[in-house]
Amino acid sequence: MKKQLMKIAFAAFATGLVLTSCKKDKNETETNDEEVITTMKLTFVPVGGGTTLTYQFEDADGPGGLAPVQQDILLAPSKTYNVSVQLLNVTANPVDDITTEIQAEKEAHRFYYIPAAGSNITVSNLDNDDNGVPVGLTSTWTTTAAATGSIRVVLRHYPGNPPGKAAADAVDSPKSGTDIEVNFVTRVQ
Amino acid sequence: MFLFLAIWAGESSAQTCALTLSGHAEDLDTREKLAAATVKLQETGQQVLTDQNGDFRFTNLCPGTYTLEITHVSCDLQTKRIVLSRDQHLDLLLPHARKTLGEIVVESQQPKPAGRQQITARDMEETRGKTLAEALSRINGVTLLQTGSTISKPVIHGLHSSRLLTINNGVRQEGQQWGNEHAPEIDPFIAGKLSVVKGVDELRYGSDAIGGVILVEPRPLRDQPGYAAELNTGYFTNNRQYVMSGVWEQQLKKVPAFRYRLQGTFRQGGNINTPDYRLNNTASREANFSVTAGWKKEKFNTEVFYSQFNTKIGIFPGSHIGNLTDLLNAINAEKPDPVFLGQQTYAINRPFQQVSHQLAKIKSGFSLGEHKFTLSVAGQFNHREEYDIVRSSSNTRPQLDLSIATFTEDLSWEHPRIGNFTGVAGVSFMQQDNSYSGRYFIPNYFSHTIGAYALEKWRKHKWELQAGVRYDAKNIDTRRLKFNGDTLDYNFSFSTLAASVQAQYRPSTPWSIQTGISLSTRAPYVNELLSDGIHHGTATYERGNIFLRPERSLNSTAGLRYDAPSKKFSADWQVYANYIHDFIYQQPRPDEPVLTIAGAFPLIEYTQTNALLYGTDLALTAKILPRLEWEGKLSILYAKDRSRNDWLIWMPSNRYTNELTYQFKDKGRWKDSYISASWQHVDRQRRMPDETNGKQDYKAPPAAYDLIALNASTTVKVGSVPMTFGIGVQNLLNTRYRDYLNSMRYFTDEQGRNIGFRLRVPINSSNKQ
Repeated sequence: MKKQLMKIAFAAFATGLVLTSCKKDKNETETNDEEVITTMKLTFVPVGGGTTLTYQFEDADGPGGLAPVQQDILLAPSKTYNVSVQLLNVTANPVDDITTEIQAEKEAHRFYYIPAAGSNITVSNLDNDDNGVPVGLTSTWTTTAAATGSIRVVLRHYPGNPPGKAAADAVDSPKSGTDIEVNFVTRVQ
Repeated sequence: MFLFLAIWAGESSAQTCALTLSGHAEDLDTREKLAAATVKLQETGQQVLTDQNGDFRFTNLCPGTYTLEITHVSCDLQTKRIVLSRDQHLDLLLPHARKTLGEIVVESQQPKPAGRQQITARDMEETRGKTLAEALSRINGVTLLQTGSTISKPVIHGLHSSRLLTINNGVRQEGQQWGNEHAPEIDPFIAGKLSVVKGVDELRYGSDAIGGVILVEPRPLRDQPGYAAELNTGYFTNNRQYVMSGVWEQQLKKVPAFRYRLQGTFRQGGNINTPDYRLNNTASREANFSVTAGWKKEKFNTEVFYSQFNTKIGIFPGSHIGNLTDLLNAINAEKPDPVFLGQQTYAINRPFQQVSHQLAKIKSGFSLGEHKFTLSVAGQFNHREEYDIVRSSSNTRPQLDLSIATFTEDLSWEHPRIGNFTGVAGVSFMQQDNSYSGRYFIPNYFSHTIGAYALEKWRKHKWELQAGVRYDAKNIDTRRLKFNGDTLDYNFSFSTLAASVQAQYRPSTPWSIQTGISLSTRAPYVNELLSDGIHHGTATYERGNIFLRPERSLNSTAGLRYDAPSKKFSADWQVYANYIHDFIYQQPRPDEPVLTIAGAFPLIEYTQTNALLYGTDLALTAKILPRLEWEGKLSILYAKDRSRNDWLIWMPSNRYTNELTYQFKDKGRWKDSYISASWQHVDRQRRMPDETNGKQDYKAPPAAYDLIALNASTTVKVGSVPMTFGIGVQNLLNTRYRDYLNSMRYFTDEQGRNIGFRLRVPINSSNKQ
């Protein structure tokens, strides 16, 4: 009786060892479907004709890993551009255009364009959401004399329900949180 | 039935009436030596008391049959028939008396076993409805690491998370303990007993218990035929939290070998109120249950256990940060912005965490002659989901999703007592499988650990010596899934050694001196090796280090205990010095920010140094008046980075507590009534890292604070049911304060005044007539 118990116990223990050391290499596939914004692309259409310009910030592998690649924004002096912004996730296949989602939830999103003093760029005419509050998916950029400076592009989203977005909200409003904050070097030349 | 016989033949005596019957009594559950147990021979009326080692002896006995009667204040009466024909030695294991279900442990003046500190029945009762860590923090030297008021982890002498082992019902808890905001996934109502173990006994559970072992033990299953039930309820005013917990257990009359228990808890709390404002989204919800069934015969017993723990905890949204700019704005604000304040609700929105933990185990014990074997096989499954604030409202997925499955087997062998030696040896095996989806934070991994240990204890008269050794080999195969279908694999193997020696000496009854030294080795955890990502709570980019080596600690302790025989005074003084070679910690790298589309995040990287943690704990009690007792506790810790001659960050500050308790005389139906007032002072942490070479912390440690708490409790017989009522007031003066070890200190004040009401109703077949 006792010996049997012993045997059973050790057998259980041993089979445990064997069983558990077999399963190992399972075939994992990519399960990461979490949203990553890798790319912000700004498209500049000069008013009155001219070549369309695009400048972008791209972190092709998402946060961490390889460093992001960031272009400088080169614009002509004394010119007006119609600017549109596009957000992409290039880690997805096919590439995911996140702009359409923001378009659909305009009331909960807002872009801010904040040029540094002396950059000789002004940004105006941001498009509005259905409540008449700016979203900034499109905007108008006007340059003056040649200068080198920078512009901060910020995307904020409002997690609240309702979002409670208001025209007077500052870029650091506690009602919203930062999704994107990129500082572009600008050169008006 | 609970007694096993360890007989070794003394010299066979030819003379009549010259036989010796000696023995040793221990508590079946705690293995504490039972001093002052009464041992009586019915036939002769002879009666002796066990000494402080639990030993007793009758001499000059005649051959014959005797009935031995053993009683102890905290144990049920036991009788044992023996046939005496030669000198005999008996080892008696006494089960705990369970007059009521809630009786956790009877505080007695018997010497405590070396290296074990246990939370008292009263502290356990007063923390009913609180978290496991809050209950443990009643032990001197144990503090809390918190994320708000709802997530708390125990810290022992400055160490926490993977440096502590938590043993839940005999099984090493394997969840996601590595994270600072990952609380232990255990229902505190499961615990009949909570203790902290250090020294030789740590080795049974692992070689990596650098900070110690936390034992969460349910009460043993019922030992008398019949049933028992208990209902615990509580309500807390601050966050309108209510808690209900029930137990039902039974031993069948017809099949006395079979006994079972059902247990369940539900807890829900609303948003937390600080003295000046209520914090949105700090509600929490918890639902747990467990089932235990046992079969017990003299030579064989087996127990099946299953438990489930489920919790959902809201995180204060004002702390959930998109990028560094947001973080600094939030930290620099005097108080959180009004958009994060003022809602009184039980609703939980993003950000929140949802965790479930399941444990199933089978534990069997059997005796072969005088050898005892225990085999335990357990499976655990932990699922942790973190829901962040997301940009798109159509996103219902968790952003961090970790599943960890663990399988453990432990076999132990307890050898028969040989002279003054007792000992146990064992082997253990663990395998673990972790997988993630959502955001990468730690990789998928498969790991297995094989370990073996042996410990021996020797005791004689005033001395007790213990020594043990353990070795574990651990393999970790990791795989990170990249978005383009690539995988990134790293494999590690570590071997870890631990050893410990301890000595206890009791020169005379009131005194006890104890000293010990323990070597522990902890292999780096996967998060320390391979974490890589943004930590939203701290707006830092956390990066692991694949070159980490196991950290080794050498912990020396010494203690002195005095219990006045008059019970008017007691003192317990402990000192310790824990030297940790290759201590793993997170080092900020201010020169290397990580640029992302959301801006630059400060980088912190896992790195190693040599650390020395030393300090002292002192506890005193004195009876000022026959019914008025004062208790004082003091806890001091110094935590040094020896390599850089600097202080370690995030270490608990010094603190002391004074408590006065007035115990009322039992009167008629009223029993165990007391009121108490306590005052805790927590000092400002003055020892933090030097910041001349870069920022280490966002905010200076908060100011010192003082908290007053009141407690009152009474047990009244209603019919035959002894119901216990309790009232506790935490933060009586509604003091505004922040604690250094609460990560919410950057944003919010701590919880304000909280009045708790408790009711315990135990019903069992013996008190129902």
